[in-house]
Amino acid sequence: MTEVKEKKTADIKKEAEEIKCPVQRALYYVEEFLAGPMCGKCFPCEMGTFEAVVRLRKVTEGTGTVDDVAAIKRIADEMLESSRCKKGKDTAEFILEWMGSGSYDAHIAGKCPENECKAFIEYRVIPEKCTMCGLCKDVCKDNAVLGEKALPYMSGYLPFEIRQKRCTKCGECIKVCPVDAIEIIEIKTAEEVKA
Amino acid sequence: MSDTLKVTIDGKEVKVAEGTNIIDAAEAAGIHIPNLCYLKGMKGIGACRLCLVEVEGGRGPVIACNAKVKDGMVVSTTTDKVVEARKFVIDLILSMHPLDCMTCTKAGVCTLQKYAYDLGIQESSFTRKKFGYEPDTDNSFIKRDPEYCILCARCVRVCKEQGTNVLEFMGRGVGAKVITAQDKPLQESECTFCGSCVDACPVNALLEADRWRKGREWDYDKVSSACLICGNGCDIKVSTKDGKVTKISAGQADGSAEKYICAYGRYGFDSIESEARVTSPMVKDGSKLKAASWDDALAVVAEKLKKAGKDAGFISVAGIQNEDALAMKDLAKTAKTKNYDTTLSLYADAETLINSQTADLDSADLIILAGLAPSQWERVLPQLDAAVRRRADRGAKLVVVNAKESRINEAATASVAGKETDALKAILKAAIDKGLKADKKLADAVKDAKVSDEAAQAGELFASAESPVVLASPSLFDAAANLSLAKGTAVAVPAESNAKGVALMGLTTDGKSFKEMADGGVKVLYAVGEVPLKKRPKVDFLVVQSPYMTELAKHADVVLPAATFYESAGTMVDYMGRLKFMPEAVEPRGESLSNKDIFVKVAKAMGATAKKPTEADVKKAAKAEGMISLKPFEAKKADVSASDIIENVNASVLSGPRLSSLKAYAKAAVKA
Repeated sequence: MTEVKEKKTADIKKEAEEIKCPVQRALYYVEEFLAGPMCGKCFPCEMGTFEAVVRLRKVTEGTGTVDDVAAIKRIADEMLESSRCKKGKDTAEFILEWMGSGSYDAHIAGKCPENECKAFIEYRVIPEKCTMCGLCKDVCKDNAVLGEKALPYMSGYLPFEIRQKRCTKCGECIKVCPVDAIEIIEIKTAEEVKA
Repeated sequence: MSDTLKVTIDGKEVKVAEGTNIIDAAEAAGIHIPNLCYLKGMKGIGACRLCLVEVEGGRGPVIACNAKVKDGMVVSTTTDKVVEARKFVIDLILSMHPLDCMTCTKAGVCTLQKYAYDLGIQESSFTRKKFGYEPDTDNSFIKRDPEYCILCARCVRVCKEQGTNVLEFMGRGVGAKVITAQDKPLQESECTFCGSCVDACPVNALLEADRWRKGREWDYDKVSSACLICGNGCDIKVSTKDGKVTKISAGQADGSAEKYICAYGRYGFDSIESEARVTSPMVKDGSKLKAASWDDALAVVAEKLKKAGKDAGFISVAGIQNEDALAMKDLAKTAKTKNYDTTLSLYADAETLINSQTADLDSADLIILAGLAPSQWERVLPQLDAAVRRRADRGAKLVVVNAKESRINEAATASVAGKETDALKAILKAAIDKGLKADKKLADAVKDAKVSDEAAQAGELFASAESPVVLASPSLFDAAANLSLAKGTAVAVPAESNAKGVALMGLTTDGKSFKEMADGGVKVLYAVGEVPLKKRPKVDFLVVQSPYMTELAKHADVVLPAATFYESAGTMVDYMGRLKFMPEAVEPRGESLSNKDIFVKVAKAMGATAKKPTEADVKKAAKAEGMISLKPFEAKKADVSASDIIENVNASVLSGPRLSSLKAYAKAAVKA
């Protein structure tokens, strides 16, 4: 049996900071905390972080509400006050650190400013840039890329595009595209009609 | 310890001893600090965080269960900050707790319900969580429903501290679950069904098995009483509803970790409704016992006793109340016989029990068990076993002096094997060698003892202890008490609940002994309670006065229906010399009467003017004081083992439908 070294909150913090979206970052941190260093010895921390994950997920999935953000704020505030040890207080502080950035409110309004939360984004092929090399189609495990590879003896190709229904926003196509022809765009929500 | 520190809690000043935590100090001031995980007497674990309070000049809130008071401390228990934290925790717990207070048996006494009410939390603002755990309901004693569990760990901790160690956590965080080894049902675990966990559970996760829709706590009438089943004579709280006992719980102060009663004490009450109960007097007509009126039965008994005179004999179990003992002695006087004795004489003598001292186990730093093998598993003095293990867990040293190794040895700091009297002598010698002060006579008495390594270790412990307590079986008491001449106290622990009371009341024969009478040494034998006799002795006439149709009763000439101890008001004196009051919790079943009432009736039927003994009579008799003097290191003869006595004198209680399953479970657990 190989011993798996338990992650420390500092490690989790370092990993989490590679994520740009503050909500995603908090979610990652708390999920990893629950899976690892959370000791389960006091109620605010064990029960609070469990609830925080539920609420953070809702926010990243686009179903979050003002109540959810308020709940997360309350959990973090109370954990900071009443948790038993530093680990719980660190977690609370980490959540709180980025709550004031406006990102949470943006998510509630239907936008992930960092374009990281899958619920708020779409992948799109920029036709002007696409060279029809077909690498993205090859790499897509969800079969979400439509289009025909350019061949010297053919004309009237089917252009490359991404079928949103199939796309899981895994990001593999972006990684392989040699000409940066795939971009992430916000999903446009319908404009509210004002009476 | 004196109350030396002055603390102000919510404006109220209170004086408490050094080392007191804030929760207990507040309790002393009449202020309740909310908590779900704290157990009085145990170190606070600070899990629930409900007991957060603010201390003037402190950096932030502290947990009152773990923070010790300091002189001049000013504590506020209801600041906005801590109330918000409490609301937060209760809100979180409610999000994962079934909200079925309308049918929940614990409604009214549920701590979670109380705090939700106090804090005004109607429903949780957090996401509802469900677990889908199966309840454990396959045993007759304890229902476990993890769905209700709030993970306070009280049950796990009481189980651990008293040494049974059955419950444990599996997993951590909100998905944790309290389980037995390998998550087996209780009856397949090592559980003794003492129910300490039930008393400790703040919610409905642990409950007596038969409580569903049998009334809730507010429906119950409750009385504090004592249990007469074994030599521990534990405090109990008896709950009754509509004239029936519905529940028995440990009687010590609420919220105290000192609570312990065994499965017998907690569940033995169904013997009140047992089919084996005798509910009317019975007189032999030809070869068969037939129901008779009290007057007819009394007339027969009175006539026989009168005729027999000095050839009449009275025997009883020692698990009767003091008043019964006095009334029985009076009746013997009326009958002009000197033959009256109890089962006490089978394993002890009255002098031993009167000489036995009193001690506070909870302040003892060394406990020496001599010739005692208390066991929660075999239910031999189980409360003593739990108390000793708890003391050991909290830092006291334990020395076990026992020729035969038993389970209590596992908790011992030192075990001295071999003949107990020699071992005690050796321990005392070793202690004196280590510098223990003893007068010359005592030192001379142990001079020739051979000191083994174990005895040397025990002697060293005894020499350095501040307040040692020696607990001895009655047969070893004299030898054990010699130790107390140098230091500490010595207590004899009899097998039966009121053995000390019976001794104090003077119910010890001036004529024939229990054994002689039971062997047919009298013409008319009057047997009270479940005396350990399976066969009718060779006597001309046999009266059995018992709550149950015992084997002996079946062969009696007259059977008088006695009340069980739940149905009889009286007093008892436990082995520590505490006089305990036992009110009549329920009325006697059928035509049965309390022992003392029957004795008075019989005496009256004999033409005497008899009166029921009063509390004053008992208190006067209980004043008898013994003294300890140097005795040879010799054991007095003990004819029967404690476990045999306990099983025999309670045979009808233990064979009831519920308690009899204990044996089946014990077998199943061994197999598993």
